[in-house]
Amino acid sequence: MIPSDHFVRFYNEVFKALELLGRDHLEAYWREIGDLQTVELADRFQAGGLEACRDYWAQIVQEENCQADLKLTEDYFEFRMLQCPSLSKAMDNDASPCEHYCDHCMAWVEPVAEASGLHAAYDIESRSEPHCVMRIYKDHEKAQAYENQAKLPAKPYTQPAPEDASGGEKS
Amino acid sequence: MRYHETGDVHLDFHRSMNGTIAYLRERYGIEMLDELLRRTAREVYRSIRDDLMAGNPEHLLEHWTYFLTREGGEFTVDRSDNEIRVTVDRCPAADYLLKREIPLDPAFRRQTTVLNEALGEGTPFEVTTEVIDDLRYVQTIRRRQ
Repeated sequence: MIPSDHFVRFYNEVFKALELLGRDHLEAYWREIGDLQTVELADRFQAGGLEACRDYWAQIVQEENCQADLKLTEDYFEFRMLQCPSLSKAMDNDASPCEHYCDHCMAWVEPVAEASGLHAAYDIESRSEPHCVMRIYKDHEKAQAYENQAKLPAKPYTQPAPEDASGGEKS
Repeated sequence: MRYHETGDVHLDFHRSMNGTIAYLRERYGIEMLDELLRRTAREVYRSIRDDLMAGNPEHLLEHWTYFLTREGGEFTVDRSDNEIRVTVDRCPAADYLLKREIPLDPAFRRQTTVLNEALGEGTPFEVTTEVIDDLRYVQTIRRRQ
């Protein structure tokens, strides 16, 4: 059994292996995770809005031993990660960390937010220090404005989702 | 011990593990999955392998017992001159999934069988796994003859 505490280190190996096959392989895997998380969370976030986001991430702080500040405003929910347990483990590791490890987070948050009628923006801040800022906005333009001033905005997807590429609408 | 996590345990990562195993098996095949598990044994658990290489199986035993205990697993340890046997009567990973009616992927147990085999490769020890059923298995560290 790979302990639940060590899943992150296995995940890191998966990212590296898929990225070696090609960026599209890594992005396809992230999309799969995004789809699964959307099934789990989109209805909840759509119904409860930013407060539901705050409640979900408050639980994650506890369960995943994060050090983080959470803020809820009229416009956005902010998750300010002060000590990310995931990147910390990927780095406290006899194996090397995936260069794009941090992007996996936005890779699932973005589709969940979109499916919920919300808009995510991420400032990774650093790829080697375990802190970042995620904001989820009601308004797309405000999310875009936040992303535009980010030090290191997360852009996990270099290609549109297959359904977007064909010009279709997401259901 | 190289990795020694404390604090809350997020057992739902076993669901992520099961899903990732399924994803890799379905899209890339068993050989790719196994190679990733072997790489995890060689690289993530390098310090455990280094100790096995040096003739010391205690790091691996401590790793097993620490995390089985931390996750609420049921197991016993038996030692003899030549081997250390850990009999797992309730695997916490499988137990977590089955209690939530999440089917185990057909390759779910390879995270144990393939990883253990790879930990022992090239060392004075053979590390084997005998799977009894979804919840039970026996892990053995045996000094090679």
